[in-house]
Amino acid sequence: MIELYQIIAIIVSIIVLILSILRFRDGKMSLGMLMVWIVIWLIIIIISIYPNDTNYLASYTGIGRGLDFVLIIGLILSFYLIFKMYNKMEVIEEELTNLIRELAIQNKNTDNKDKMEDKVDLDNKTE
Amino acid sequence: MKIFVVLPAYNEEKTIEKVLKDLIDIGFEIVVVDDGSVDGTFSIVNRIIMEKKTGLLCRHIINRGLGAALKTGIEVALMEDPDIIVTFDADGQHDPKDILKVSKPIINDEADVVIGMRNFKEMPSSKKIGNRIMNFITLFFYGINVNDSQSGLRAFNRKAAETIIINARDYGVSSEIIGEIKRHNLRLIEVPIKTIYTNYSIKKGTNTNEGLKILAKLIMNILK
Repeated sequence: MIELYQIIAIIVSIIVLILSILRFRDGKMSLGMLMVWIVIWLIIIIISIYPNDTNYLASYTGIGRGLDFVLIIGLILSFYLIFKMYNKMEVIEEELTNLIRELAIQNKNTDNKDKMEDKVDLDNKTE
Repeated sequence: MKIFVVLPAYNEEKTIEKVLKDLIDIGFEIVVVDDGSVDGTFSIVNRIIMEKKTGLLCRHIINRGLGAALKTGIEVALMEDPDIIVTFDADGQHDPKDILKVSKPIINDEADVVIGMRNFKEMPSSKKIGNRIMNFITLFFYGINVNDSQSGLRAFNRKAAETIIINARDYGVSSEIIGEIKRHNLRLIEVPIKTIYTNYSIKKGTNTNEGLKILAKLIMNILK
């Protein structure tokens, strides 16, 4: 007997899988990341089709029910992903800062130097 | 003795003109870092530098925070062969005469870094709490107890300016500098300075809110 939640989970997984593949084709996602997402969503589809099989994993790890096992693993994975994203964002922020600083140092006083040179030119013309 | 004054400025159009003119008139070399201001700060500084025919101006095209601005300023100053680099707040809260006061221990070779400590008794209570929290945080995370960890008036000799590595981009930089002083075993002296409190300068800088934000940031840094 297939429950409603199984159908919803499968539909959502397939939609996200298609979106991931489309993003990869557009060059907006790396091949490695695509593989990770494909594996994650395929696992979710398999679990949705055979939810009872998770009971083996649950009893193996000592976590009571199969669904609990899935939820706990899901939560841990989500937190890990957030952590990875936070770190990546920090790296990007730092790179942006370095870029802005480098630009600032290279362009120091260029604005007023340009104007000073203009002024000198004007002076020469009047002489 | 070449003293370079580094002024990080973010939206300081109300105060920067007086601060800058005072410093140039005394005869200091100036490095202004406009940290992506959206007001008239850049054009005001540009005009003064042209009028006075002295001073350097760098502009971060996007606001990157106090730490990034100080790093840029110190790097630019180091290219000009300085003897002493002084950081100075652009909001008008410091007395330009105090620059000589914080430079003196370096001239006498008694210190590598001098921090101008503000008088906490004169400090408005909203700022006092924030600064106390930051002193505690600096002690807790970097293991060094100072009287005023968040002061914007600091003097570095050349060796210290070259050695200290700034990574913090925001207000956490003040604590980080103190941590760096300890890490590299630099000689630190704190010198009392005058603080000019105006309604304007009270609104800016380290208040309770900013203190809590820095705390959150430092905890995040440890969890990384």
